[in-house]
Amino acid sequence: MNRNYDVIVIGGGHNGLVNAAYLARAGKKVLVLERRHVLGGAAVTEEVFPGFKFSVCSYVVSLLRPEIIRELDLPRHGLEILPLDGTFTPMPDGDYLWRVNDHARTRREIARHSKLDAEAYDEYGKAMVEMGRFVKPIMAMTPPDPTSLNVKGLLDLLFLGRRFQKLSPEDKYNQVQLMTMSAVDFLDQWFETDVLKATMSASGIIGTFLGVRSPGTAYVLLHHYMGEIDGAFRSWGLARGGTGAISNSIADAAREAGAEIRTESPIEKIVVKQGRATGVVLENGDEISARIVSSSVDPRLTFMKMVGAEHLPDEFVEDIKRYKFRGSSGKVNLALSGLPDFKSMPGAGAHLRGAISMSPSVEYMERAYDDAKYGRFSRRPYIDMVIPSLTDPTVALPGRHVVSCFVQYAPYHLKEGTWDERREEFGDTVVETIAEHAPNIRELILHRQVLTPLDLEREFGLTEGNIFQGELTLEQLFFLRPAPGWAQYRTPVRNLYMCGSATHPGGGIMGASGRNGALKILDDWK
Amino acid sequence: MSKANTQERIVIIGAGHNGLVAAFYLAKAGLRPLVLERREVVGGACVTDEFHKGFRCSTLAHSAGPLLGRIARDLDLERHGLSFVRPEVRLFAPSPDGRSLCIYEDAARTAEGLKKLSAHDAAKYAEFRESFTRIGRVLAPLMVRTPPSVDTPTLGDLWNLGKLGKDFRGLGKRDAYRLLRWGPMAVADLVAEWFETELLRAACAARGIYGAFAGPWSAGTSLGLLLQAAFDGHAVAPASFVRGGMGALTQALAEAARAAGAEVRTGAGVERVLVKDGRAAGVVLEGGEEVLARAVVSNADPRTTFLRLVEPTELDPDFLTKIRNYRSTGVAAKVNLALDALPSFAALKTSGAELSGRIHVGPDIDYLERAFDAAKYGDFSQAPYMDITIPTLTDPTLAPEGKHVMSIHAQFAPYSLKEGDWDTRRDEFADSVIRTLSTYAPNLNDLILQRQVFTPPDLERDFSLAGGHIHHGEMSLDQFYAFRPVIGWAQYRTPIRNLYMCGAGTHPGGGVTGAPGANASREILKDLKEGKPER
Repeated sequence: MNRNYDVIVIGGGHNGLVNAAYLARAGKKVLVLERRHVLGGAAVTEEVFPGFKFSVCSYVVSLLRPEIIRELDLPRHGLEILPLDGTFTPMPDGDYLWRVNDHARTRREIARHSKLDAEAYDEYGKAMVEMGRFVKPIMAMTPPDPTSLNVKGLLDLLFLGRRFQKLSPEDKYNQVQLMTMSAVDFLDQWFETDVLKATMSASGIIGTFLGVRSPGTAYVLLHHYMGEIDGAFRSWGLARGGTGAISNSIADAAREAGAEIRTESPIEKIVVKQGRATGVVLENGDEISARIVSSSVDPRLTFMKMVGAEHLPDEFVEDIKRYKFRGSSGKVNLALSGLPDFKSMPGAGAHLRGAISMSPSVEYMERAYDDAKYGRFSRRPYIDMVIPSLTDPTVALPGRHVVSCFVQYAPYHLKEGTWDERREEFGDTVVETIAEHAPNIRELILHRQVLTPLDLEREFGLTEGNIFQGELTLEQLFFLRPAPGWAQYRTPVRNLYMCGSATHPGGGIMGASGRNGALKILDDWK
Repeated sequence: MSKANTQERIVIIGAGHNGLVAAFYLAKAGLRPLVLERREVVGGACVTDEFHKGFRCSTLAHSAGPLLGRIARDLDLERHGLSFVRPEVRLFAPSPDGRSLCIYEDAARTAEGLKKLSAHDAAKYAEFRESFTRIGRVLAPLMVRTPPSVDTPTLGDLWNLGKLGKDFRGLGKRDAYRLLRWGPMAVADLVAEWFETELLRAACAARGIYGAFAGPWSAGTSLGLLLQAAFDGHAVAPASFVRGGMGALTQALAEAARAAGAEVRTGAGVERVLVKDGRAAGVVLEGGEEVLARAVVSNADPRTTFLRLVEPTELDPDFLTKIRNYRSTGVAAKVNLALDALPSFAALKTSGAELSGRIHVGPDIDYLERAFDAAKYGDFSQAPYMDITIPTLTDPTLAPEGKHVMSIHAQFAPYSLKEGDWDTRRDEFADSVIRTLSTYAPNLNDLILQRQVFTPPDLERDFSLAGGHIHHGEMSLDQFYAFRPVIGWAQYRTPIRNLYMCGAGTHPGGGVTGAPGANASREILKDLKEGKPER
């Protein structure tokens, strides 16, 4: 059964599948190998409890590159994205902040807290859209190597410089601040309402080991304004059938183009002969050879486990060892017999159809971070809660609901105890935190799935449980991702490429890494 | 004064070290700088004061940054009575468990001492030193160059950037990438890449949070180490003292400026800058006296300059907003002690040479971070981070025979407190400083004859530092180089013609280096030589 393949793609996550789809469409003979029984990696839907389909890890979509949706014609392959409208932030004092896509309504809501902020909100929105426009093309480009510039790299840098030059002075000012400031410092300049700043800044810390006051977190505020569905800025959505449906539609596109996809095919090692990757050996001993190996798993697995330091330059090994993962978040999935009833806005209103954010104040967010800094999970964590079954009834039995809770902070390294010992304690903390705003949640829980960073590592091969395959901090972005000098999807091992979130532009269900990686492989194909 | 006079006269607001350096270079070029100082003594935050009968101490800054060698030479400061004191010990760091370490000028000697803490760190130290020295060499020219214009780079700007690019490539991949990675990195991560000993990590990381509203886990704090390297090829702050205290330095600067033809007036507080049809035409002193000038140079921090000395109506609202958003919330307090004798440190058998440089209190990264946490919530640290000097060890003239003075820079003490105010809580903080220090020097309390305390609001009141920020504003990535104080105005000019900035709120920022003053004078001369500002 050992046919000769052009490319073996390691990992059937969304990036691996995008990578395979583009290569197959270019006429390459592609084989995708996935360790688990189901495709999608962290973008997966599973019926964890009978009748309840969960987007186990990643749960909302907004950053999936429109060119990928277009080029792979994903809607035809079953991708349907349902809008997820608004963010509801309950507050301990019984008040709340409820922002929706309807700008006028959001404006009125913010005015309820501060007239000034309502006005600033318009300005802010305009400015962020401009910034988003500036940054977007960078997502699709291969980072140049600033230490050894060839003509192409020089042109790329010039291109960036020129684009920056063209910005208005105001936009230049904003851009610089976005790249360097903390989310809170940045928002302080626009708004005075604490809860507004807390909720907005939350997007800046997701998946990082940073607090809302840590410099470098402002940049992520942009992502909210780059998320596009059908070209509509700022809209977040759910895939019908759960996040796994995205992976399945990409897989479908890949198969149609001729790619072969195998699940339950864990890889033991990457075969390296005379400094070249020649194929892989599965855990069951089968060896499969290919001209190119393209890995969508993170660098530590790819290089330390599958390749082995002996095949790599010492400096590179040092860099990969130093590459920071530091998972900081967990996931709690709940199966409910009914809907939570929030004290600050009782009833099953539209506020439950969007994101529900437990981020009542900047100090709350900051204290949650302080706990993590010193090695414990937040006593009162930031929780981003979504009830997909309200938007997509196919994921739960009638009258029942699935609830997806993204929880931060949950540091991979605990100072006291192990995650295996403290998993349920963590789950209880999450339920208690929600119950402070919606007391009835306790009675509604039929099943509970608690995923700690350790579980994310074991189940999904995310080293140290980092959902982005490595921290998205400035020193690990662009031409520094994943390692200095190796940000162009190539590796020190010839014929071995990277195409996962650990490469530029990194995390989120973007698919850009998979696409960029494929284009690089095709460039080099001679 | 005669018209001729005012036509050549340049008024400099503030006789801090940068103002005096600028005055010297302008005078040397044949202009008539007049430095106006509000206080009775020149020096700004760089002064010596007899705070107790027979005891003199550097009131705020207690070490030079160091001062640029070129400035010391150009101004011939030795001839004007300046003598630097450079002990072999840069830094001594005790830890509560009785262990300690010393950073010497000599890397080998430092490594030797580190062996008792960690063979690994001892082995790594030399490479750590060299790497920062090499990177410092590339960055050094940037400190004495004017940042490029972001909107319309001139040929000169591009030429300089080209030179920088060349030096950068010259670094070699390894260091080049270090530089790129370190810039935005949390200093806690940087030191962890090199060393395993918490005490050593903390001692090196401290430079990244000195005077900053940031903890070692805040991204961008590595910048402080890179800047330090740019100024003296070392990641750790230097022990660069002055005989007679830091005031002797600014006295010498003033002497040199006068000798070059500058006039220095103390007790002459500027109330506002005179602006006529969008141009600075002079200043009005407290008391009403008008001093006309061809150009006005402000050594005050950006917020003081644009929010206090200039009428808001003279400035474009967008610019004002940026200045209001300029971050300058002070977190550093100063405690000066007159001591009956030299305190004995538990970590030392005999108190001596080890104490003659800086003394670092902050035994591990978490300690420094916790000290910062307090500030985030509007409280001061119960166990503060401290940078201490005992100048009398190298300069006995500062205190009576056998007695000593101790100069303590203490963080974190945020400008505004959530509970109470500094006037009621000043001593409470000073007590926490003494209490903390006593765990390292148990007999300290019994030796204190007198103490002098400055909190951020004190610094604002007594030294006109807006927000009490010792660096005239945060030295963070967003307020650095071409963005200092704000993007578009990093070339020492301001939206008001003939009004210039020369203080620590401009590139390359705080610390007693004189670089901002020297850079500013160069730009001013360019304009005046080209005769840009019409008279």
